[in-house]
Amino acid sequence: MRTKRIFPLALLAAVSAGSVFTANASELSAGLTGQMAAQTCAGCHGTQGYIEDSAYVPLAGMDKEHFITAMQMFADGSRPSTLMGPLALAFSDEEIEAMADYFAAFPKERPAKGFISEE
Amino acid sequence: MSKMNRRTFLKALGATVAAGSTAAGSAPLFAQKNPHVAVVGGGVGGATLAKYLKIYAPSIDVTIIEPKTKYQRPYGSSEVITGHETMDDITISYDNLRDRYGVKFIHDTVTVIDHAGHKLHTAGGRTVSYDRVVVAPGISFDYSQIEGLDSEADARAKGIVHGWDAGEDLLTLKAQLEAMPKNGTAIVVPPPNPYRCPPGPYERAGLLAQWLEERGDDAAKVIVLDSKNGFTTDVTMLQAWNRLYKFNLPEQAKGLYTEEQLATFKHHEGEPKVDWIMGVMGGKVTRIDAENMIVETEGAGTFKADMINYIPPLKAGRVALENDLADETGWCPVDPITFESTRHADVHVIGDACIAGAMPKSGYAANSQGKVLAVQLKALLLGGEIQTPVYQNTCYALAGNTDYGMFVADVFRVKDGKIVRVDAQRYLPFDAEPHMFSMAATYQQAWMKAFTKDVFG
Ligand SMILES: Cc1cc2nc3c(=O)[nH]c(=O)nc-3n(C[C@H](O)[C@H](O)[C@H](O)COP(=O)(O)OP(=O)(O)OC[C@H]3O[C@@H](n4cnc5c(N)ncnc54)[C@H](O)[C@@H]3O)c2cc1C
Repeated sequence: MRTKRIFPLALLAAVSAGSVFTANASELSAGLTGQMAAQTCAGCHGTQGYIEDSAYVPLAGMDKEHFITAMQMFADGSRPSTLMGPLALAFSDEEIEAMADYFAAFPKERPAKGFISEE
Repeated sequence: MSKMNRRTFLKALGATVAAGSTAAGSAPLFAQKNPHVAVVGGGVGGATLAKYLKIYAPSIDVTIIEPKTKYQRPYGSSEVITGHETMDDITISYDNLRDRYGVKFIHDTVTVIDHAGHKLHTAGGRTVSYDRVVVAPGISFDYSQIEGLDSEADARAKGIVHGWDAGEDLLTLKAQLEAMPKNGTAIVVPPPNPYRCPPGPYERAGLLAQWLEERGDDAAKVIVLDSKNGFTTDVTMLQAWNRLYKFNLPEQAKGLYTEEQLATFKHHEGEPKVDWIMGVMGGKVTRIDAENMIVETEGAGTFKADMINYIPPLKAGRVALENDLADETGWCPVDPITFESTRHADVHVIGDACIAGAMPKSGYAANSQGKVLAVQLKALLLGGEIQTPVYQNTCYALAGNTDYGMFVADVFRVKDGKIVRVDAQRYLPFDAEPHMFSMAATYQQAWMKAFTKDVFG
């Protein structure tokens, strides 16, 4: 199955909140929490951004501005990457900021029990 | 900070709604009792869901029912056939899920889901009650489409194994590869869509070719007999095979590329080390004569092989089929936001078994679904709002040579009630520098470890 569909840019931020749809990027991404957006990173960068001895950069405790700048540079190609470019492009500015806030809220060092409860 | 706001919000909310359940029928009998989520299958989907639920909502009791005491990962398992990995490397303990996160385990096979009674029955005679159940049983194999092999057991008895769900099959395939006569022929038959790990069968073909080449077989051949005319990562994979394995692009595949890109392809004389007989070329396999090692196709003739890796059409795991969770396609329809079955209430299906719109059947997808479902189950069982989801998939694959990697990367969102893919660029650019392919290979190897930790660690 070869899909070569290119989705319109407006769709990049088009998410559903129940059955309500709108094309306004900022309005729509307001519905996405930092946790929801950031957990997509964990499949490579570790749960809550904790990862040791890896080719992947740990994200836990990363400075907010640093995270945002890195994502912007991946998106515009000024920082070369394999797949971070396409991924960074698929999130809105608001979502990237929410992810940055999420990771910045964690201590850099993994806590003794291995993770932090998010209850 | 949205996270803090949300936490305080949920704390405040939790006090008033924790006792009541949102869905009728799943209301706990005693307000003090913790809600109980039963998970059928401790694979990628089930394990991720269980772990993240304990991180996001520790007061929810989570029990995984899984026959194996140790998981064997299918992702990255073709490398066992070529000896880059051992069975130990792909075997994963459940200790962290149990000890670090407090997930409970019952090592048994679920046979019956009593939807009305909210109970599971197991092969070992146990009964497990649930408020909500997450079904993540992976896949089953359909041998009804092929002549010459009656069932999975019959195929195995005849020495034809799929190796698509880890296990002893991998060692069988390894032994078959090692026993191949010099300059022999191996046949790989990918399943029709949809199936687990879209680039996987092609990656396996490349790995076999590379192994044979490294053994010193100059004229060994791996033939991919396909019912399809394309596959995820085809653009990058076919280009790599042209560079590495004397692969000539079939006329019918030229539409994948621009004129300019086509001009960069080499034309190789002589037999290719990897060949791809597409669906339009008649590549669909109709019959396998295991005794004489003969594979018949719909329109491309008959092939004599020294090794046959037939991966049959796939369906959802048997427990899903037998408990009315699958539709006529053999896969389980679900709500795109909560993964609740559209056929039975309080049952959620994630991972390969479910129909998740544009999402592929991959480990990364199952992992992503598990996390989203953890967020939604917390809301459904403790109170709070169902959240707008976002899903992701990244799959790395090797061309065969373990220094030549590639990937597909996608983000998915829900639009008009369907999960759709939202990004445009998803592969390495066609003209990527050579070091990008080797970087992708490095990340591929790092991913196996990092991902396993996110799911089980
Ligand atoms: C060769 C190969 C390479 C791959 N490479 C990649 C890759 O690079 N990246 C990627 O993202 N994905 C990859 N995958 C795909 C990935 O392994 C699967 O998509 C993923 O494992 C699916 O997760 P799951 O939870 O749906 O099923 P599984 O991981 O298969 O887990 C299902 C579990 O359910 C249990 N179970 C089944 N029935 C019952 C029952 N009745 N009661 C209790 N338990 C039951 C099983 O024992 C099993 O442990 C690859 C797959 C293969 C075969």
